[in-house]
Amino acid sequence: MENLREDKEFSDLFRQKLENAEVTPSPSLSSNLMRKVGMREFLRFNPARFNIWYAGAAVVAVGTTLAVILTLSPDKGKKEIQVLQPVEIYQGSVDNDLKKDLPATSATSGENRQSAEKVKKNGAPGTYESLSDRKTAAISSVAGTNQAAESQKINKLPATAVLNDAPDKNTLRTIKRSQSLIEVSVTEGCSPLRVVFSCLAGATDSCLWYFGDGGYSSLKNPVWIYDDAGEYKVALQVISSGLKSVYSTVISVHPKPLAKFEIAPENAILPRDEINFLNYSEGAVKYRWDFGDNNTSEMFEPRHSYRKYGSYNVQLIATSEHGCSDSVVIYNAFSSSGNYIEFPNAFIPNPTGPSGGYYSPKSDEASQIFHPVFSGVTDYQLRIFSKRGILIFESNDFNYGWDGYYKGQLCDPGVYVWKVRGNFINSGQFTKVGDVTLLRN
Amino acid sequence: MMSDQQIIEGCAKHQRKAQQLLYDKYSRFLLGVCLRYATDKAEAEDILQDSFLKIFFNIEDYSGTGSFIGWLRKVAVNTAITHYHKNLKFRYHIEIEEFVSVETGVSSFEEDFFTSDELFRVLNDLPAGYRLVFNLYAVEGYKHKEIAEMLGIDTNTSKSQYSRAKAVLRGKLQKLRTLKSNYSGGNE
Repeated sequence: MENLREDKEFSDLFRQKLENAEVTPSPSLSSNLMRKVGMREFLRFNPARFNIWYAGAAVVAVGTTLAVILTLSPDKGKKEIQVLQPVEIYQGSVDNDLKKDLPATSATSGENRQSAEKVKKNGAPGTYESLSDRKTAAISSVAGTNQAAESQKINKLPATAVLNDAPDKNTLRTIKRSQSLIEVSVTEGCSPLRVVFSCLAGATDSCLWYFGDGGYSSLKNPVWIYDDAGEYKVALQVISSGLKSVYSTVISVHPKPLAKFEIAPENAILPRDEINFLNYSEGAVKYRWDFGDNNTSEMFEPRHSYRKYGSYNVQLIATSEHGCSDSVVIYNAFSSSGNYIEFPNAFIPNPTGPSGGYYSPKSDEASQIFHPVFSGVTDYQLRIFSKRGILIFESNDFNYGWDGYYKGQLCDPGVYVWKVRGNFINSGQFTKVGDVTLLRN
Repeated sequence: MMSDQQIIEGCAKHQRKAQQLLYDKYSRFLLGVCLRYATDKAEAEDILQDSFLKIFFNIEDYSGTGSFIGWLRKVAVNTAITHYHKNLKFRYHIEIEEFVSVETGVSSFEEDFFTSDELFRVLNDLPAGYRLVFNLYAVEGYKHKEIAEMLGIDTNTSKSQYSRAKAVLRGKLQKLRTLKSNYSGGNE
């Protein structure tokens, strides 16, 4: 016995120190690996990718031929350089049309220039994105274009922009200081993030907020909740005595990790089995386990031995690199006694129409739905049959019971047979059969 | 920031960027695993490279239900086993002195006394067969029966390899402890 304890201590020493130990690989390893991957990928014949290789090779071949033809034609001397450059741009964007245009070199050059211009135009709207993201630009279609341009101007030269059309000295002074009129309760946090915005403009000024995720508000002090993680560029437009000024700030919303785990083996025999906690958490870097018997661990996937059965509440708190955390608890793990599943023997469905079958245990509807009371059930299947043996209801969800309807019709009063199969958390499979009387008011 | 799910999907489509991200995210962890099975860092990096090749080309095998990091670890461990078998012919020798060390009653190593670097080094010095069994049993948590199946050896062989590995490790750790306490004692 002594030997066993010591044995465990010894292996724990290595496990705790080394199980999740990180070692930085040599820098060259990454490039070596990627080269090997590239080689293998190339050698692996894949019909799906074959087309890409083929098309790529074709483009390269055509491009080279074109270049060769151009350099070989002596009488076009000067044009060569002008032509060659747009061809490259064209090659990248379209490749099939290239073949078609090949013979007419002079025509190609004209078309190519056009396409080059197109590329430029397409690139231009990038300025919207720099201020606020695309959604905002789309929604604020009235102010959108002007605002984008204007804000830049003001951000750069607040004083001159105002001087030109503002004789009012008061506004002049406030804007000259170029103080942001934005005040926020927080600038970063975990999603969902609730932010209170305050527009510090005077009482008669109007404020218009763009929250950067498509939302906007004309309230002075709006509250906005960011559900998704990301960097949001918030813009505030203040109109003060006919003068427009724009301020911006950034709100960073960090993703919330997901804490999730399973206990293995599912039907452990205590204290013989050592329990594995399988960690399926996402987006977290730090973990804290509470095994419910006053023991804790900070390992990624700890193992733990319980001395006896009991209603342990096992909790996992997963924390991300930004300090956002999520927790999950498995209640009453390892309680061998106290597992039960019971059904009523009669119920009265809601006569006014099908309720859908989902119920919350404390609500009044619960009595109008045929459902079990249970503890320690991990999974479960309920089937209900009519007297003639027709399956009229099936559910794999404890929270989804029978509302007394079949195909939208209230069933006839009478006796129905139910059968349930499932697993108890510690003592394994169970099957139960019984009947229930459907009553009507 | 891509989630694991996105990285896995990207790797399944053989996207180079996703592969690079996967490497950046998990190479340090996996090298930690490989180093436990290797004689030195160079060998560990060989195993790591082979593991990543396996991961990239077989990522469809990951069912998506279990823990991804657990799957990665498993691939690395399996690669290390293959590696061991491949190099088996170079490793028939066992140093005699290692049989001399018998289990002494003194045990109980405080976990914070040794750094993980020191533990790595002690492991790296073990004969490859011992190291393999010790890792699989003590760190990965496989049972002797499973180890026997994985390595194609007898269950009793696995048990005896493990206890010998333990004896050798204990001897080394005790030596290291005396060294360390002498050193820190001399400083005071």
